[in-house]
Amino acid sequence: MKVLVVDDSKIARISVIKNVVGVMPDVEVFEATNGLEAVELFAKERPSAVFLDLTMPVMNGYEALKRIMEIDKAAQVIIVSADIQSEAKLRVLAAGAKNMYPKPINHEIVKLVFEKDLLV
Amino acid sequence: MNLEFNEEQIDALREFMNVSIGAATASLASLLDAFGTMHIPKIEICNSSELSNKIESTVDLNSMYYVTKQLFTGKFGGECIFLVSEASATNLGRHLYAIQTPSCDEVNDAVIELTNILTSTIVSRLTQELGIQVQFFVPYLHFTDAHSIVDDGDISKYSKIIIISTILDFQDQQIKGNIYILTKDEAIESLRALIDEKLEEIYG
Repeated sequence: MKVLVVDDSKIARISVIKNVVGVMPDVEVFEATNGLEAVELFAKERPSAVFLDLTMPVMNGYEALKRIMEIDKAAQVIIVSADIQSEAKLRVLAAGAKNMYPKPINHEIVKLVFEKDLLV
Repeated sequence: MNLEFNEEQIDALREFMNVSIGAATASLASLLDAFGTMHIPKIEICNSSELSNKIESTVDLNSMYYVTKQLFTGKFGGECIFLVSEASATNLGRHLYAIQTPSCDEVNDAVIELTNILTSTIVSRLTQELGIQVQFFVPYLHFTDAHSIVDDGDISKYSKIIIISTILDFQDQQIKGNIYILTKDEAIESLRALIDEKLEEIYG
């Protein structure tokens, strides 16, 4: 199973990857540092799940989410963001994200994501 | 005293700040019943003598500003400065009091209230991430031109300063502000040690 982790912060990517691998040890992880890289990697690798930050340089997560959903309307995108406004959650869910979680996420949250949000 | 940060320490600090600013934006969004656009925090370490120029380079030199400063002490001590232009502050007063022409007192009160929420949420969330506690002093407000935001008294306590800055941005309400967190030399050192502990936890 391929998983794409998108965040401009290295520490944030490592934190997500560590928890994803803790829950699903056999995943193949791809990393992107901004929305544009994420869209390009998504088109190339077609991962089963994407963990996407919102506040990023070059292309933000809102735009990346929109473009990923245009590539594959069945894409499974989980937003992991410091932006915890209820309006932000409404916007990403309306744009097709499976769910949104506040940073930082932990093992329990990632377990929940794989059990409840994603079809794997 | 070595006050430099490496790339990983800066990345970690920016991420902790991002989480803190996210919490503050959500609190203000709730207060204003509005949606705020988040911006990536900028982290710079500079000499205190450079502070005035750094701030002036980010503001409109033709505007007057409400400047609120709030000190905090503890293992990570420093000062939070919040700048909001006269136009943004008036929009804030209009929005909070639902009146077309808020009085000076109403605008002052709105800016102080905003600063209190902003500073306490950002610094509390940051220190929570770092596993420490700080005490806050009462914020004080002054109204000034763009060239007088920083006075000599402000910077005499510092040699090196970490400037953590970001923009508060509620576009629909036309409310925009700049936030700066300044810390002293000893706080920079303890901040770096705390970040290293967190990095150790995450990298394992």
